Amino acid sequence: MSSAEFTYTPNEYKSDLKPVWCPGCGDFGVLNSLYRTFADLKLEPHETVVVSGIGCSSRLPGYVESYGFNSLHGRALPIATGIKLAKPELTVVVVGGDGDGIAIGGNHFLHTARRNSNLTYIMMDNEIYGLTKGQAAPTTPLGDKTKSTTYGNPEAGVDPCALAISFGATWVGRGFSGDIKGSAELMKAAVQHQGFAFLNIISPCVTWRGDDQHKELRAKVRPVPEGHDVTNMPAALALTNEGGPLTTGILYDVSHPTLNDEMVEIATKATAKFPNATKKDLLRAFM
Amino acid sequence: MSHELSLSIVGSGGDGAVAAGDILSLAAAREGLSVIKTEAYGPQIRGGESSCTVRISATPIHAQADEVDALVVFSWADFARFRAEMALAPTAIVLYEEKDAPPEDMKQYKLVPIAFSAHRAGKNIFALGLIASTFGLQPDAIRDCVRNRFKKKTEAVIEANVTAFDAGLQKGVELMLGADQLEYVKSEPKLLMAGNEASAIGAIEAGCRFFAGYPITPSSEVLHLLGEWLPRVGGKCLQTEDELAAIGAVVGASFAGAKAMTATSGPGLSLMSEMLGLSSMAEVPSVIVNVQRGGPSTGIPTKSEQSDLWHALYGGHGDMPRVVLTCTDVADSFHTTIDGFNIAEEFQVPVIVLSEQAIAQRRETIDANTLTHEVVERRLATEEDRENYKRYLDTVDGVSPMSVPGMKGGEYQTNGLEHDELGRPSSMFTTHMQMNAKRYRKLDAIAKKYPLFTRFGPENPDLGILCWGGSVGVVREAVDRMTARGIRVAAFAPRILMPLPAAEIQKFVDASKQLLVLELTFAAQFYKYLRAEIDLPKATTSVFARSGGKNLTVTEVMEEAQRVLAGKKEEVLA
Repeated sequence: MSSAEFTYTPNEYKSDLKPVWCPGCGDFGVLNSLYRTFADLKLEPHETVVVSGIGCSSRLPGYVESYGFNSLHGRALPIATGIKLAKPELTVVVVGGDGDGIAIGGNHFLHTARRNSNLTYIMMDNEIYGLTKGQAAPTTPLGDKTKSTTYGNPEAGVDPCALAISFGATWVGRGFSGDIKGSAELMKAAVQHQGFAFLNIISPCVTWRGDDQHKELRAKVRPVPEGHDVTNMPAALALTNEGGPLTTGILYDVSHPTLNDEMVEIATKATAKFPNATKKDLLRAFM
Repeated sequence: MSHELSLSIVGSGGDGAVAAGDILSLAAAREGLSVIKTEAYGPQIRGGESSCTVRISATPIHAQADEVDALVVFSWADFARFRAEMALAPTAIVLYEEKDAPPEDMKQYKLVPIAFSAHRAGKNIFALGLIASTFGLQPDAIRDCVRNRFKKKTEAVIEANVTAFDAGLQKGVELMLGADQLEYVKSEPKLLMAGNEASAIGAIEAGCRFFAGYPITPSSEVLHLLGEWLPRVGGKCLQTEDELAAIGAVVGASFAGAKAMTATSGPGLSLMSEMLGLSSMAEVPSVIVNVQRGGPSTGIPTKSEQSDLWHALYGGHGDMPRVVLTCTDVADSFHTTIDGFNIAEEFQVPVIVLSEQAIAQRRETIDANTLTHEVVERRLATEEDRENYKRYLDTVDGVSPMSVPGMKGGEYQTNGLEHDELGRPSSMFTTHMQMNAKRYRKLDAIAKKYPLFTRFGPENPDLGILCWGGSVGVVREAVDRMTARGIRVAAFAPRILMPLPAAEIQKFVDASKQLLVLELTFAAQFYKYLRAEIDLPKATTSVFARSGGKNLTVTEVMEEAQRVLAGKKEEVLA
């Protein structure tokens, strides 16, 4: 980074690496929302880590001026958990696609949510595998023809928000990549949430889902109904798997101790018996 | 008079066979004696058959005894389960439950029926008293350990057990079995611990402050100890959903600047292979303690083998430099784990510390004063390094100064993708070639700095034995015994297997008239690895490679060595 004074504008969070994404890809919108979010929250680049797995959207960390880790397919969440536990003062944002997070990384999604690891997880959801050129994903609707489902997808697609709520995420929201400002507002809320925040952003794939996907999805998008109680789990779940409409906004938002809070608690208990533990204390158990 | 005693205690769950062995071992350690204690169980989680074998010696020991001098049997049905793996000395004294008739083949030994079941409060403790007076063990030390064992129970329970112990002592005096009495001089108390515990303590000593692991036999004790102790020293311990997450969290924590480790066994190492490649590619230090068990697949989870060797050396896709270290005994598990951290941190590589069930789960005495080891820190990026920072700067030894989140100016994006010096993804052949060379160069530097090995026996031996890991203690005792008989035999064990201390091994090979490569793998993994790396003369090299599941014995090594020396050379494997 240049030594010039950092003024927290969205542009300053742009790295000089140019995205490999196709023209018209929804991920550009998500990236722009992320720059705005970081700028609005005045995040220090050296105290921010963006972690991803593998996929088109997982290229994102390279485009952000911060610490970044473009890791293995499906493994972003455990890596991010390790980073956050080692240095809880860092802001850790995980990004990736629906295949990365629900198929190969599905088990980590469940457990990272369950343990309320203090992370923001942004899933760019295009209902397809883009980087491997167009195979069905766990989010691809039943019957859809893709490169790997010549006769139509024999499996029903899942709603990532329904999973997140069921898994124990303490903040769940949905956004649309075409709405950069709206997505940035959701991202801000997600980053500021203490605990595991899951943000599903509908991010069309113009190459493998066709030029109309953007229009079709935009038509389905609608805001959270007025008066929705974000602390009511059944009400939040009712806004998922709607079989047509895609409700965007904050679906669920509750407060529980984070994994790190619990670990701090454990340390208090552990040191109560052995304040300033030494090797001698440890070796006593073997005498 | 004798300088050592070996005995086994066999019973069902609830008989307290293993507990009795624990008490005896601890008492002996407190007397300053050398102890090695092993346990064996049936497959049941609770109940079922269990046994322990304790070897106590007035002089240093390196392996379990081949034969026991005494056997306590609470139930012959349980004993039958262990019969194939338990050898008795011809003069062995067998103390058995009088209500249970011994099998025919046991009649060759001195059988002594005892009314163990009459001491329902503590037949195992009664047995301890009996053993103490029969073999001349100091009763006070054992009595203290009996009290200590039950210290959380009521006074009545403690007294009942002490009474049982004293009754056992009395019974031994009455029986006057005329056994060899253990002769020793009390000395400085020793620690008694298992290899897994020594690895965990080594990790803490090395500065490890993050551990993530998934339970797996026979390595879980590392997780247990670090779960208890890391929070006391400012660290964190995470039990993950699987081994993929365990090594992932380790790589993440290490990327953030913490010294981090995981522990597992074969099946877990298989799952971790992809992330090992990331650790190697992204040059993020990581330490993996892999406690080997019988394989492949689920194999024999409770028994030892050395068959993860090839996986540790070669497992994973792509050209992936990694370091492989070995543990030769319990104390060495402490030192090797610290070496593992030192190498991982200094050279930004994944380090696999290969242990084995046979040393990871056996309890062994250690001199507390030996538990110190130099600790090396990571080469972090200085402020100067961070001006126009290149995370993967191509340097002479391949090591680039590493910045960690929180360091201003050190921001970089790391990658499992091939990348240039800045960390940017690249699919260029020239970059790939340059960066592969850079990453592999670190192994040359490690080989120079850490040519770790153990060697014993005379120079220019008639027979040189090449072995590694858990076999080393057994070979050492075999070499000592053969040396005492005037046989010129020596042994060499590399303690670092990747990169191999090739020059030192070659020197040993060239100085030995004949060679014997010895290991617990069916496929002769160690021998074939040496063949690939060292100039082993085919005509004078023999191989002894057998499946694990039963620990190597001193007798086995000696028989094999003498067979080779007698010129009965085994067909060398292809």
